[in-house]
Amino acid sequence: MDDKVLIIMTSGPDTPRRCATPFFFATLAAAMDYEVSMFFTIDGTLLLKKGMAETVYPKEGGKPVSDFLKDAIDAGVKLTACTASMELHDLTAEDLIEDIKMVGGASMWQMSEDSKTLTF
Amino acid sequence: MSEIRGCNLPDDLYYQIEKHIWAKPLDADTIRVGMTSVAGKLSGGKLTAVTIKERAIGKEVAQGKSVAIIESSKFVGPVPAPITGELLRGNDKLASDPNLAISDPYGEGWIAEMKPSKWNSEKDGLATGADGLAEYQKKLEADDISCD
Repeated sequence: MDDKVLIIMTSGPDTPRRCATPFFFATLAAAMDYEVSMFFTIDGTLLLKKGMAETVYPKEGGKPVSDFLKDAIDAGVKLTACTASMELHDLTAEDLIEDIKMVGGASMWQMSEDSKTLTF
Repeated sequence: MSEIRGCNLPDDLYYQIEKHIWAKPLDADTIRVGMTSVAGKLSGGKLTAVTIKERAIGKEVAQGKSVAIIESSKFVGPVPAPITGELLRGNDKLASDPNLAISDPYGEGWIAEMKPSKWNSEKDGLATGADGLAEYQKKLEADDISCD
């Protein structure tokens, strides 16, 4: 548990104020040399839809979620999407941005076993 | 290969009928494990994930304990080990294409490989051969399951 962080992201476009901090925390953890993964589920998965993150603004007049997402990716954060949540939103692999690993819900338990785990 | 109530069931496998799991000895130290075509039908025909139990790899798993987890919109549950043994590996192909376990359940869609520790005693508890398939047929009839 000493060097891994898992952030479970359940918040999405309906709650824009909740959509920057998880990515911000992921980027910070990566900067602190943690091995960081994010697991997107429920509405969080919508943020991985092509074109979506660009349209979500946590603060009016501020940066879109896509900026925070890019920072996290550039910092080396690994992004995984829950396949059950893709079913929830009728999403296919082709609907998502690049470099998203799709995994089952069971993988969340496996990833969290040896990680500090936070849920947003 | 036999077809029972529309379900393909190979003649040479060992079946855990209640759980719709098959086992096949590859050599003295390796048993391959998968789900039958019946399980594929019961899952609704489309899987969202098949996840091997990573932390059990290299460890002994008792018969009946989970070696993997299957997820579909109709069913979420374990793939129980048909025999006791060391879990050697899962099928990497299922990570990117979990539906191989339905489209090719006895070939490319295998789920796990185990090194058995009690094969000689435990295999007698599995259904195999003509008698085994007859038993599986009874189960399908009793539960009114068909793959058509």
